[in-house]
Amino acid sequence: MTARVVSWLDERLGLISIYSLVFDRKVPKVNWWFTLGSASLFLFIMQGVTGVFLSVYYVPDPSKAYDSIQYIMTGVTFGWLIRGIHHWGASLMVIFVFIHMLRTFFMGAYKFPRELTWLTGVILLLATLGMGFTGYLLPWNQRAYWATTVGTAIAGTVPVIGDFILRVLRGGNDLSAVTLARFFSVHIWFLPVVILGLISVHMYLIIRLGISSVPKEEEG
Amino acid sequence: MNEEQKKTYLEEYKQEKEQGVKFYPDIIYKDLLVSFAIFLLLLGLAIFVGVPAEPPVDPGDSTYIPRPEWYFLFLFQMLKYFPGQIEWVGTVIIPTIAVLALLLLPFYDRSPFRHWKMRKVAAVIMSVVVIGIVGLTILAAVATPPQEETALATTITDKIVLGQDVYSIHCVECHGAEGEGGEIIGVEGLEGVFVKAISSQDEMYTRSDDTFFAIIDYGQPDLGMPPSGLGYGGELLRGEIDAIVTFMRYTWDDRVEIPEEAAQAGAIPALGPDEIPSFEVHVGPIVKRYCVSCHRPGKKNNNYLMRSFQETMETGDNAPNVIPGDLNSNNILMLHRQEIEAGGPMPPTRALKPELIEIFERWVLGGAPETAEEAAALSPTAVPTAPEATETSVSP
Repeated sequence: MTARVVSWLDERLGLISIYSLVFDRKVPKVNWWFTLGSASLFLFIMQGVTGVFLSVYYVPDPSKAYDSIQYIMTGVTFGWLIRGIHHWGASLMVIFVFIHMLRTFFMGAYKFPRELTWLTGVILLLATLGMGFTGYLLPWNQRAYWATTVGTAIAGTVPVIGDFILRVLRGGNDLSAVTLARFFSVHIWFLPVVILGLISVHMYLIIRLGISSVPKEEEG
Repeated sequence: MNEEQKKTYLEEYKQEKEQGVKFYPDIIYKDLLVSFAIFLLLLGLAIFVGVPAEPPVDPGDSTYIPRPEWYFLFLFQMLKYFPGQIEWVGTVIIPTIAVLALLLLPFYDRSPFRHWKMRKVAAVIMSVVVIGIVGLTILAAVATPPQEETALATTITDKIVLGQDVYSIHCVECHGAEGEGGEIIGVEGLEGVFVKAISSQDEMYTRSDDTFFAIIDYGQPDLGMPPSGLGYGGELLRGEIDAIVTFMRYTWDDRVEIPEEAAQAGAIPALGPDEIPSFEVHVGPIVKRYCVSCHRPGKKNNNYLMRSFQETMETGDNAPNVIPGDLNSNNILMLHRQEIEAGGPMPPTRALKPELIEIFERWVLGGAPETAEEAAALSPTAVPTAPEATETSVSP
């Protein structure tokens, strides 16, 4: 019965070829350092899942944002847990993505033929930092407000176009409801879409080129 | 890498792959194990550490020390080394170079070597960068002072002085300049309400600072006291409320001794025997403490505002309320608690101390000068060495 279902599905979806292509392939023997990429992916999925749950109750409006988070923390069943995971997941994700980058660097894994994997990886690192920056404002508390005030002011020091960038970031001269709306939108739509797209390319390249091997000293 | 090297690499890689393992289950197993460990770590952090509580946004509170998320601290710290004109080197040049160097790494590092021992320069550069980032992060974490202690005015004296100012403007109209309370006169919606003293021993001995804070912040709407905290629709920042509480405690609680400095800063400046008072030095502080609470916009005051010299002299439905040289000016008559066309006794609930009224009178008689220089020029003993006169002055 199972065999019939599988073969029925395989005729239509090509599952077996996907399986042999993705899972049943030979890869070089590697060490634990090579789990950092999948750990980053796992953290991204955790952030995505908890983020979707948080978006059920979170209201990106200056008069309601703080209270909506208070509600998530005290009123919603396990809301505190979801937010706690999202909060700590952000820090862990930055750490893991960064160490993943260092691993790739020190093992020379960015070299031929994996230049594009590296390129997408660096953009993913930057996008992760962007997620951290935009997400930090959303609780709309003192810490968030002043960190973002200073953070966006830094953009204003760019010669010539600094003021323009500042106003694009803030949606005006000061932090306001517009800033919150922009950061919220970038945090839950723009950056996640960019990250998802780049992860797809990143993973395609990893499967196509195979994971790098641990470099041997004598071979260079 | 040239074509030859590429070919060698691909062949070696193929060999390693053949001697290697299956992605499933070997690699997947390790990946899942690490992910599961991370999941447990996340649960632990969320359950046992949680998310620190923070007060809501207070845009007016510019004394709040901005603290970026920890992974941006190194950038924040780095900027400190590029002050003023060269700030953009830290904000633009260095980050741009760093990002480009990272992005384009495979395109300029074209050596075929992969082991770090064969790429010592690269390894050293990256190590230095990482040590730098960690070092700057630690420096920033150490350099950032704790939030609570520096929430607003840094010293007790600053807090008391600030608290007195804020109290004068926001509280005096109902609670009186000395917290004595009494019948409210001239406050919209609360006319005739009787307010108990808030500076009494009863009050001071039985209310904690937290209680005072909560009362000011949230108000006591059922008793008629509106909220003052920004978060509840009032006008005050949390730091200002905190300052009021400090002012109340140090001024009215007889168990607490007010610092000498604060007592002096809060006192109305002394006046020499022949000295003509000025608005700037003498009358202004009195007005600020006893009058502005009602004589500011949005209050019932016949449009007479007293926030500045200009307003004191010129505004009001019965302007001018101060006529230089004329002791029959509205203000003086009302300070002497006379009922005149312009209105009743002022301040409505309690007479100003005689010595303060005297300062007011001498100021009006002397020509109601604004600045100390103008007052010195008007003085009958007008001599450029005016400071001597103030040094031998008597306390009011």
